Amino acid sequence: MDVGEKDKYELEKRNDNGINYQGSGMSSAWQFGGGSLTSTPVSLVPSDNPLVIGSASGSAPMVDSFCSNLWEHPANSQNLGFCDINVQNGASSSNAIGIAKGSPASMRSSIDRPFDMGWNATSSMLPAGILPQNLSQLPADSAFIERAAKFSSFNGGNFSDMVNPFGIPESMAVYNRGVSLMQGPQDVFAISGMKSVSGVEYQKTKLIATEASGDACLQAENRTTQESSLKNDRRSESLVRSNEEANQRNGGSGNESNEAESSGGVGGQDESSAMDGTGGEPSAKGVSSKKRKRSIQGAEIDQAKGSQSPVEAAEDGAENQQNGDRNQSTTMNKTTTKHGKQGSQASDPPKEEYIHVRARRGQATNSHSLAERVRREKISERMKFLQDLVPGCSKVTGKAVMLDEIINYVQSLQRQVEFLSMKLATVNPRLDCNIEGLLAKDIIQSRAGPSTLGFSPDLSVGYTPLHLSQPGLVHGGLPVMGNNADFMRRTLGPHLTPVTGGFKEPNQLSNAWEDELNNVVQMNYGTGAPSDSQEVNGSVPSGHTKVDLRS
Amino acid sequence: MNKYNPPRMNPSSLRSRFATRFLRTLSKINAQKPTSSSSPTEIFRRYRRIKAAADKSMAYSVRSRRTWSRAMLWKLRTRPCGRRSVKTSTIIKSREARKTRHEKQNKNTTTTTTTTTGEDGVVFGVEADELRELVPGGEAMDLYNLLDETAHYIKCLTTQVQVMKKIADFYSP
Repeated sequence: MDVGEKDKYELEKRNDNGINYQGSGMSSAWQFGGGSLTSTPVSLVPSDNPLVIGSASGSAPMVDSFCSNLWEHPANSQNLGFCDINVQNGASSSNAIGIAKGSPASMRSSIDRPFDMGWNATSSMLPAGILPQNLSQLPADSAFIERAAKFSSFNGGNFSDMVNPFGIPESMAVYNRGVSLMQGPQDVFAISGMKSVSGVEYQKTKLIATEASGDACLQAENRTTQESSLKNDRRSESLVRSNEEANQRNGGSGNESNEAESSGGVGGQDESSAMDGTGGEPSAKGVSSKKRKRSIQGAEIDQAKGSQSPVEAAEDGAENQQNGDRNQSTTMNKTTTKHGKQGSQASDPPKEEYIHVRARRGQATNSHSLAERVRREKISERMKFLQDLVPGCSKVTGKAVMLDEIINYVQSLQRQVEFLSMKLATVNPRLDCNIEGLLAKDIIQSRAGPSTLGFSPDLSVGYTPLHLSQPGLVHGGLPVMGNNADFMRRTLGPHLTPVTGGFKEPNQLSNAWEDELNNVVQMNYGTGAPSDSQEVNGSVPSGHTKVDLRS
Repeated sequence: MNKYNPPRMNPSSLRSRFATRFLRTLSKINAQKPTSSSSPTEIFRRYRRIKAAADKSMAYSVRSRRTWSRAMLWKLRTRPCGRRSVKTSTIIKSREARKTRHEKQNKNTTTTTTTTTGEDGVVFGVEADELRELVPGGEAMDLYNLLDETAHYIKCLTTQVQVMKKIADFYSP
């Protein structure tokens, strides 16, 4: 990582110093020997030995491989890239673009530092005629590093402080192009860089660029064939072009989301493209780069994510469920669109129907585990809601006990409905017609619902008058309710916890009572009439006698 | 009759909707009552009818917004035809309704419900089935929607109990 970091800075200072650095300039530097290079005050003289410079940069093996690769690539390929990028970007500083494009992306990062001066010197050789004044103004290495650090920490575009006679847009453009060209398959950051040229987020570009360069360095180590990198460059060009258009289309409103989408698109394209042996790497690098980017952008996104998951759960709801499998099928998209989605979650509604989940640090990023985690979070949220709804569940912890409580509560509510309908069936004979109008008004207007929280005391209160005043009714109700009578007795019995005792009781009941309750429930709701009729028939004699008494 | 105007609740609330519907049905049932009111079988029959009326009123108050209301309405509609087939048809109908809306969801969530590792799958496998039996139409729902429906069902049940209790209290002096 240190090498990467250093290379990051190298890239920055290289870019902010101007256009001169890259590509064909490098080859020309080698070709021209050290003549022009000596004009620079830098101690490093790349003309002599690439190995020396490689060691100077601290990444000798890297440089060795890349230097050899450098020689392998003729200038014409670089020129091709040069022309392409000129067409693409079409800026006055097209030279840098061409140079940057031409050189293998991987090499540049590692060789940047020692070759700074060389490139600056050789840039004068470029046919496009890079402004030579930049060359003379190149400070020493340490100054570069300082400037790079300053550059990365700048919010606005205070590029005037840099040794860059160009205007800010141009320097930014150069910087971004350099970043993008270095990227290769890492078009994510390239696109962000390109985008921020038209946008305003310099700092973000810097961060992205620094990370991009770092990532490019990381990738450079793994890269073995330059042809593939060239291919990536070509591809990246087209991708960058298309993404640039997309970005311009999307505007600067959701920069992160745009980046995410474009990165997702690029990632998808990269994956689809048959990259030799490096196809798997972009995705891996993408994930790792995303994680690094996350560490850079830090707590902000974490908070956004924290607030997002419940919000998303609340918002999407069924939609997420629908997209569950789609989510799994698009792993790459999901991982790459994570941060973008969260960044723009507040501003944009979900443009895509994917569940945007961020894999927390230390957690698996497998699509299945992610989907499961989302599901678990949603379920736990629902359980919390139910906990508020069911009285007496606040102190209950654990899903199993909670579910048991919920089940008991629903059972008790259903039994209450049954009992009340039974009561109404027996009480109704005494109804007057006029009462109904008043009754309707009274019921609709009455707000007091004590039964919601403490239905057991209500039941108990209601039961005792029943026992006293309407014995017939009670006995009439008993045969049908059957075991519900036991339930009534139980509710009447312990008055210790009037609020929660009603439905908490089943927890305290023995297993036999539980079985009884279950039987009651099954009889009442499962099979339907036959058992009920049996119940009635079985207890008709007793009920009959009691009813006779009443009548 | 003392005329007073207490503060009116929301006329379109669940409670008022259910109350009006239920009272209407109740009055209809009561109109048929005077013929034979004291035989327990008749009482039982009336009880069943009132209970069905209560459930139907509640389900109609919710319309088809909820799966459980749809399942309940379906059950009530097909009840006179055959009781054994009701449950299966309810299951089938609710399953079809679910599948048309959330095809992939069913596949995903049912599989994940059974294969969820950790305490989720182990715990919810048992209690979820019980809950499914309780909540009408819960057989074909995944756990998340089941919990959702349960919450709404609990809310409606409490409203039902409140209204019926008020009615019963009103009737019984």
